[in-house]
Amino acid sequence: MTTPVPLESGPPQAGPPPGGTGPGPGFVAAVIETSALTQRYPGAVTALDQLSVRVGPGITGLVGANGAGKSTLIKILLGLLTPTSGRVAVLGLDCARDGERIRARCGYMPEHDCLPPDVTATEFVTHLGRMSGLPPTAAKERAAESLRHVGLYEERYRQIGTYSTGMKQRVKLAQALVGDPQLLLLDEPTIGLDPAGRAAMLDLVSRIGTEFGISILVSSHLLGEIEQICDHLVVIDSGRLLRSDSMTSFTQVSQVLLIEVDEGTAELEAELAARGLRPRPQERALLVQIVSAETCDLVRDAVADLGLPLNRLEQRRRRVEELFRDDADPSAAEKEGAA
Amino acid sequence: MTTHSGPPAAGVGVIHDIGYRHYQGPRLGRAAIIRALGWHSLRSAFGIGRGAKAKIIPVITFAIMCLPAVVNAIGMAQGGKQIVYYDTYVFQLRVFVMIIFVAAQAPELVSRDLRSHVLPLYFSRPLRRLDYPLAKLGAFILACLILLEIPLLLLYLGMISQAHGGGAIWDQTRALIPGLLVGLAWAVLLASLGLALASLSGRRAYATGSIAICFFLSWALAALLRGVTQTGGPGVAGAGARLSGLVSPFTVLDGLRQWLGGTSPTPLPPPGDLGPLYGVMFVLLLAAAAGGLAVRYRKAGVLQ
Repeated sequence: MTTPVPLESGPPQAGPPPGGTGPGPGFVAAVIETSALTQRYPGAVTALDQLSVRVGPGITGLVGANGAGKSTLIKILLGLLTPTSGRVAVLGLDCARDGERIRARCGYMPEHDCLPPDVTATEFVTHLGRMSGLPPTAAKERAAESLRHVGLYEERYRQIGTYSTGMKQRVKLAQALVGDPQLLLLDEPTIGLDPAGRAAMLDLVSRIGTEFGISILVSSHLLGEIEQICDHLVVIDSGRLLRSDSMTSFTQVSQVLLIEVDEGTAELEAELAARGLRPRPQERALLVQIVSAETCDLVRDAVADLGLPLNRLEQRRRRVEELFRDDADPSAAEKEGAA
Repeated sequence: MTTHSGPPAAGVGVIHDIGYRHYQGPRLGRAAIIRALGWHSLRSAFGIGRGAKAKIIPVITFAIMCLPAVVNAIGMAQGGKQIVYYDTYVFQLRVFVMIIFVAAQAPELVSRDLRSHVLPLYFSRPLRRLDYPLAKLGAFILACLILLEIPLLLLYLGMISQAHGGGAIWDQTRALIPGLLVGLAWAVLLASLGLALASLSGRRAYATGSIAICFFLSWALAALLRGVTQTGGPGVAGAGARLSGLVSPFTVLDGLRQWLGGTSPTPLPPPGDLGPLYGVMFVLLLAAAAGGLAVRYRKAGVLQ
């Protein structure tokens, strides 16, 4: 496959998007493209409202509060729901006309429990491999392989009912992977998992996206969680597009300087204010807006003059959550902030 | 290749890098997928691929269903007369065995999938919405056919083993064919009704109960109506008695058989000129069951 990319298991993926996910935006064919997509349910419930978004290859996070329309969008992408209006294309195919061909190339991991308790993981994934159009022998091989990729080995011969939540999530992912899809649609893959399980699942998703060369759309209501693994982020709220951008542009270096001293924070705040800066306290640190090239010097001098033990001085990288707190609906951001 | 270290806290979550291989082989089309689903469902109708417990009812019902053919063969070998006929087999036994088989096994095909919410996984694959009930229905009709027709074939084998001369074998064969057709009508109607009822509930017990109650009560009701309305001498049943069979699928099937020329006697009086009503009722029941199943699955996939 594409060039292997050394994968860091550390959280933030700063810098340029990893290789294999294509060059910059505009050059690559869209994996998902919607225009003015609207979905209304009976009873005047609007799940999606004029949603136009374009998703390229790589790992894309689909973020929104519960009920923002994430699952509805995924169901429309699979052709399971016919939208009220608007157009959708997945892998260059029209969802209204080519649902079958799209579904043959997509793997879907639903949000809810969808596993029968009384069959083994091997039998179940093999059967669903056949349902994806694999011949019998290939289905068996691919099932064993997908289960191995998600980290289930000897356990795969046990009945699914005996599995832990984390193992069940892995089986759900394995059944999505069994047909060797070009695109994976993962609906809340970390739901119900403990922190260690979440980290392992995210790691797995990240690996599938970067090393297996499979594009992924992964939804979550926890922004802090999936921002670690995504190349691109789509944020929706109440069925509307809030923002769609590459991860790097979300986390650009901001014009804010963070200063942390071991003691004397209050003194420093007064001193900085006296020197014409407007420091804002944040937890144990102070934030200062960088207004000119001299700002850093001013801060340095202030700390030195007061003789305070300087702990940290850095130009801050914006965190995605703050962006939404600034320019988005505050209620949505609150819910997203949790992780 | 790159090496990869899973998060240390995850314990079981360590993933070894063994590389991912894309699938280059053939991909089968929709028709092949439907066939695969049908085959899978047929196996599950007999508990194959499941535990030993799942095989109890299919095995017992099948054995009971074969019993009359065996008894008949033994009787024939000892010079007795034919006591089991192709078109009716042993009517009451057949009714009871089919009630048990359909009530127990139809939920096996559809209720389990509803219960474990596995349908979104089917519908996110190249299948169309109605392919799923179609495959299930085809498989269950076949399962019922196996239960109904194999005993008939055993009966036939028992008969021809005692038959002398080509003419006698030909007579048996000519008698067998209508019997097989009656079996087909039974399989199609009972399988459709059973699956339609089973698809209403994800709880196995409820599904089994609703099928058993519908089949058994309607059967009892038909018998009751027949008893109440049976007036006049033997052989001349009143219109009431001749209509009584319309309330139960089993008597509808028998009325249909008699209308189409079946002569072996059953508790149901010959419908006479009311025969076409039985034909119409058969079609109506079948359409209602198949339609109900289709409507159910048009919606069930969107629901979770």
